[in-house]
Amino acid sequence: MRFWRRWSVAGVLALAVAGGAVSVDAALEIPVERSELGNGLTVLVHEDHALPLVSLYLFFRAGSRNERPGITGISHLFEHMMFNGGAHSAGKFDDVIEGNGGSTNGYTTRDFTVYLESFPVAALERVLWLEADRMRALAITPENLEQERGIVKEERRLRLDDSPNGKLYEELYLAAFAASTYRWPVIGFMADINRISLADAQSYFRTYYAPNNATLVLAGAIDPAQGFALAERYFGDIPAQTPPLPVINTEPRQRGPKHIRYAMPAELPALAMAFHAVPATHPDRPALDVLQTVLGDGESSRLHRSVVREHELAAGVSVSYQWGMDSELFWIYSKLRPGRSAPALESLLLSELARLSETGPDEHELRKAKNILQADYIRSLKRVSGRANRLGFYETVHGDYSAMFREVDLWEAVTAADVTRVARTYLVDDTRTTVELVPTRSAR
Amino acid sequence: MSGRRWACGVVLALVLTLGCQPVILHAPRDGAGAVEGPGGALGDLVGMPPLGATAASFTLPPIVERRLDNGLTLLIVEDHTLPLVVFSLLMPGGSAFDPPEQGGVATITASLLRKGTRSRSAEELAREIEFLGGVLGAGAGADFSNVSGEFLSKDLSRGFELFADIALHPTFPEDELRRARELMLAAIIASREDSSAIASRCFGAFLFGDHPYGRPSSGTEASLAALDRSAVQSFYQRHYVPDGAVLVVIGDATVDQLASAAEGAFGGWNSRAGSPPLLPLPVRVSGRRLLVVDKPDANQAHIRIGNVGISRTDPDYVPAGVTTTILGGGFGSRLVDELRIKRSLTYGAWSGFNVHRMPGDFRAGTFTKVETTGEALQVALDVLTGFANEGATAAELARAQSLRTGQHPRKLETPGALAASLASLFAYGLPRSDIEAYPGRVMDVTLEDVRRIAATYVPTEDAAIVIVGPADTIAPQLAEFGPIERTTPEQCGTSGGPSAVR
Repeated sequence: MRFWRRWSVAGVLALAVAGGAVSVDAALEIPVERSELGNGLTVLVHEDHALPLVSLYLFFRAGSRNERPGITGISHLFEHMMFNGGAHSAGKFDDVIEGNGGSTNGYTTRDFTVYLESFPVAALERVLWLEADRMRALAITPENLEQERGIVKEERRLRLDDSPNGKLYEELYLAAFAASTYRWPVIGFMADINRISLADAQSYFRTYYAPNNATLVLAGAIDPAQGFALAERYFGDIPAQTPPLPVINTEPRQRGPKHIRYAMPAELPALAMAFHAVPATHPDRPALDVLQTVLGDGESSRLHRSVVREHELAAGVSVSYQWGMDSELFWIYSKLRPGRSAPALESLLLSELARLSETGPDEHELRKAKNILQADYIRSLKRVSGRANRLGFYETVHGDYSAMFREVDLWEAVTAADVTRVARTYLVDDTRTTVELVPTRSAR
Repeated sequence: MSGRRWACGVVLALVLTLGCQPVILHAPRDGAGAVEGPGGALGDLVGMPPLGATAASFTLPPIVERRLDNGLTLLIVEDHTLPLVVFSLLMPGGSAFDPPEQGGVATITASLLRKGTRSRSAEELAREIEFLGGVLGAGAGADFSNVSGEFLSKDLSRGFELFADIALHPTFPEDELRRARELMLAAIIASREDSSAIASRCFGAFLFGDHPYGRPSSGTEASLAALDRSAVQSFYQRHYVPDGAVLVVIGDATVDQLASAAEGAFGGWNSRAGSPPLLPLPVRVSGRRLLVVDKPDANQAHIRIGNVGISRTDPDYVPAGVTTTILGGGFGSRLVDELRIKRSLTYGAWSGFNVHRMPGDFRAGTFTKVETTGEALQVALDVLTGFANEGATAAELARAQSLRTGQHPRKLETPGALAASLASLFAYGLPRSDIEAYPGRVMDVTLEDVRRIAATYVPTEDAAIVIVGPADTIAPQLAEFGPIERTTPEQCGTSGGPSAVR
């Protein structure tokens, strides 16, 4: 396995500055080569022969942000339909992958859709052939659509309609965003899942499943020259399409806190509190990552100490900040303990946020947050498939896979003053949305 | 998924699941196994390229084994892939050894290790571990308790010191016990929002009855309320002992560095206790027993069907894995094909053997909208019956063998996964060579093996069936399947609930 490891001198100096604090001083890169086919397909190859396997991750710049009311959920429904296979492999996609020792799956986010396979290197050409076959000419039939529509409705019932957590997440985004296409859930509204037509699916395929709207990542026991040649052989003749219209997400400025209460069967109340933040590529994003870590990562984080240990209002508290193409939410979630009230939790969270905005993190907290972020980054490189996923994410969302290798330096450069400033800028009343789950059955 | 909250299942999965929501997976999967098997109907697709050359088989890195005077076995592996070091300590004695009135004591004992030692408070431990960007925790399975962690390799000695501190010097402060108990109670209540979790827990209780494998590792509200400090100390003294335990250390340092860190930290560990006794053999359910767990507001019904299966050391372990992959592992499996792909009744269907030191269970599971509960159960039972009676086709066997062998290396890809695997083999008294022998054994499985195992373990007439959903709506759909027992999510698994002991 060939990692290029740099043990930087700057890290050792940071150690001294922090007064005995230990800093993570490894900045890890992995070898990657990039090429673009004539039809616009971006190809990334990461070579690593530790295992005789290859992971293929195929990213399409098509997620629920590309949808419109009436066809919400089509990106994800389409992801399901893709497993029916292309013109030469209809109904056989999974069988060929699994019959050749591979695993296969896919996932959809607000920003993109990903198809993934990990398989013995002997199956490489077959998997490329299968992926190209479905990109070239997916078998879009009424039977395929109806089959996957039924399955996706079961998935929605599982993840949202029968899940207080899932419903809370849906309500939070609907309440926080007025105009952004981030507002609806990736899985879509049930009425839209019922309504999506064959013509919708065909149009969606033509628009978004074009080589010039995709990135192919090959990672593992494959060398770059071989990867580029095979990509050309199997994908090179798929014609480019007119690029999709850009998504213009102009969320109007929020001018005051919103508060939503919704009732559903549940055992315990829960609360989510969100603030409008920035896209992944925004210069303030690394400081928001550090802020998120200070507030919510680990038992020694501020909110865990306050909410769970000192005031014992909840069994846990989490802080999330998704990295999105558009402005995402920075949000806090907590499920209350039996007998505790959501308003008490809400006021405690507000006072903790105010305290952080006032004085910022201390040096120890800041160093700890950076150490956690850096260690998590290193852990994210453990699996070849994980590396492929990350490379595809950066190429798709940042437009440049190598942005991945700059993350550790960006976090390292964040100062306490930066964290204070982003807290004061983004964690403010005007952009706050709070959603409270009120159980219709009272907890015992 | 976008972003770095990829590990949202790790800590307090119950409360953090929300962070995972944007990931909409195509389906729940069994990541099983590799190279195209013999035959199969796959070679006939027009234009499909041939297979490339088969790569070398997976080989283990060198493993150094040492046995300390106190009886602890060390397994050391150098791995310079990333600047990390992982360790995994496994000791005989898990939640199946909770004394009858002390359900949950193994789990709460493990959770309290990080909550105070002779030299550090809970807050100090959390701060020190997290300052290093490290991970350190403990848990209890049915048969074993474990302590494991991961640090950057430059923090090897500090990481080891913290690791040994929580494993060897916990003090179980009264106030921390109270906190842990309340967190577990809150988790038990919150878990009743999740029909799948209810189904899994109630199925275990229904099938195993009063056998220790039927008791929830979290305990119950009643048992937790009664847990006191002496119960925790007593569990710790009985089961956290070096004799018979194994410590696996894998990381970016030399064998000598890793071994001396481990020996320095654990060489002085001298507590003693007898090995845990063997548990009684679980008894198979005879006849068909049907339990409905009432969840009046649910939109879906969750189904589990099963019976007692095999132990981890059963000679049929490998063929049983192949057999269940044919039935319910991966998208090409029978259950997925019949329930999901052909009928759109569900998003997920699967089967598997839960193996322990004594026989665990075989179970199949799925879920569907309330209106199609009876239909889904009928289809699932038809699939199980057809498989138990007729076995598999050559193409099905080839797919399962390929999947199992092909995915085998991925199951050992990370240092943590390799450490857990080595520790587990040691704990069950199995040779490490099993890892490298695995693909060959998978390929040796015959259609006759599959037929025999399916006939023996895949339930047809003798089966425990649990369905979680709105009882009044689903009961009429179940009339033809036999008499129904009813319970609630609160009652199943408690002493007042139904029991399968006979």
